[in-house]
Amino acid sequence: MAATLAAPSVAVPRPGGRRLAALATLTRRRFALTAHTPRELFVPLLTPILFATVIAPALGKTVGTFAPGIDYMTFVAIATAGLLVPLNTMFSGIGVIVDRESGARRDMLAAPIQRSLVVLGNLAVAFAITALQVVALVGAAVLRGADFHTSAQSALWFAAGAGFLAIGMYGVAETLANRVPRVEEYIAATPAIAIVPWFFAGSLFPLGTLPVGLAWFARFLPLTHALALMRYGLLDRQGTGLRDIWGMHSATLMAMLSLAVVAAFAVAMTLISIRVFTRSAVR
Amino acid sequence: MEPAVEVHRLTKTYPGGVEAVKAVDFAIEPGEVFGLLGPNGAGKSTTIGMLTTTIEPTSGSARLAGHDVIDEPIAARSVSGVVFQDPVVDRGLTGRRNLQIHARLWGVDPTRAAERIVELTRAFGIEELLGRPVSSYSGGERRRLEIARALLSDPRVLFLDEPTVGLDPRIRYELLDLIGGLRAARDMTILLTTHYLDEAERLCDRVAIVHEGRVVALDAPGALLMAFGREIVELRVGGDPAEVLDALRSRGVANGDAFTIGSSVTIPLVEVASRDAIAEIHRLGVAAESLTTRTPTLDDVYLRLTGSRLDLAA
Repeated sequence: MAATLAAPSVAVPRPGGRRLAALATLTRRRFALTAHTPRELFVPLLTPILFATVIAPALGKTVGTFAPGIDYMTFVAIATAGLLVPLNTMFSGIGVIVDRESGARRDMLAAPIQRSLVVLGNLAVAFAITALQVVALVGAAVLRGADFHTSAQSALWFAAGAGFLAIGMYGVAETLANRVPRVEEYIAATPAIAIVPWFFAGSLFPLGTLPVGLAWFARFLPLTHALALMRYGLLDRQGTGLRDIWGMHSATLMAMLSLAVVAAFAVAMTLISIRVFTRSAVR
Repeated sequence: MEPAVEVHRLTKTYPGGVEAVKAVDFAIEPGEVFGLLGPNGAGKSTTIGMLTTTIEPTSGSARLAGHDVIDEPIAARSVSGVVFQDPVVDRGLTGRRNLQIHARLWGVDPTRAAERIVELTRAFGIEELLGRPVSSYSGGERRRLEIARALLSDPRVLFLDEPTVGLDPRIRYELLDLIGGLRAARDMTILLTTHYLDEAERLCDRVAIVHEGRVVALDAPGALLMAFGREIVELRVGGDPAEVLDALRSRGVANGDAFTIGSSVTIPLVEVASRDAIAEIHRLGVAAESLTTRTPTLDDVYLRLTGSRLDLAA
């Protein structure tokens, strides 16, 4: 076999929009790889859906209305979104290790693009899939009888809380994936990162019912702020959960403060994940 | 004319003090096929890693088509293509998707990319496979896909890092034909690393022999072999090979290029005919366990320069 090829022509780099075009390519690539393995789409959804449609109604039936105007089943249904987001983003991090061990990561590193775009492409897909799953989860909860008190405007608080939490948690996932040498170690660390904080973040009970020390610890968890925001947007219009954190009177002010905490978490973890990736990419 | 690749005092010391590359210098002219020849651990892949900006040099400098790999890494990457030593593909995606992604990342116009994909995959005999996931490709098919991918952007410098390692002999020879075809048809600089002597001799205009992070010889394969004359006598002796070599030198059979490794004495025949040399060896009464004559190879060059045999070191 002998290859005879035409004379080369020089590829002309496109100056404008080159970065966006590369980001779009990396995003499509990640999506194609993720869609190729449907387990990444559906496995993270199983536990939260089970919680929202089976466990939450059972708990709601047992507990009933535990605070004025707040149905416990709906309270837990929103908590399941706070479980789904970290679980799904952590599962997305496995793709980073697969890329490194047996995928095309080195070809991407040799590409004439900013290497941070590789992280941002992965983030875009993790974010989109998580958003889709949260919508599916809320839909399942509604079908099962959850009683949301919301409007289009207040739902934005929910979207912002869930969105920034997803971005921050993907940053955690990408950082961990680039730090651990083997996928087994990554999977072993996932419950500690994605599930344990959920038990302390006021997911299944109000923060005020925790011992004082644990309640203070919970205030430092981004998940606590994200959950309070999500509930403020869909259920708790009085801001009871936010008051447990901040102890102020203005629900809007407390919501903005919690939003700032979750947004800072998202920005910080994204920057850290980019730095860890670019440093690990070059020996 | 500006060199396509220019390397000056390039050094890499890994954490822990491992000196993988030690102040290497070379320059490669546009259109040249240049080989880095050496065993595993000689520093070949680290050198390529620094040139492709995935390994940070400890000191020294390198330029690709005039772009400094440290100061202008994106510009340097834009003029190069790489075929890695290990498989680097998205196995879950089709061959076509892998090629399209690469073309877009290198900024190749989509219409031009589609034409190049047809042109290259047809030339490499993988056109029919493009719709299949790469996980279903054989090792040789995947390698051809990777070479086609590296060529999509018409790179001015193509890096081939041990492109045939791990392939069975038949596929290896097919790939050598393919790479040779590139050399014949394209005005492109190729930097090839290998520990296969025949690959270097067959494909390269010039070869740098690398040993323990240093370039110990650099010239055209023919020029490197010239020092060994047309033939080599190799004898394995039962006694002290150094004594035998001294005796052969005193009789004018061996000169300064002759050397011993283990129980073997290797004698390049520059001025003496093999028949005369063998007769002289017999007259000396050397207790030779075996005596052979053969044409010299780059392995002999490597052996004389480093004291170890390339195929064993690899």
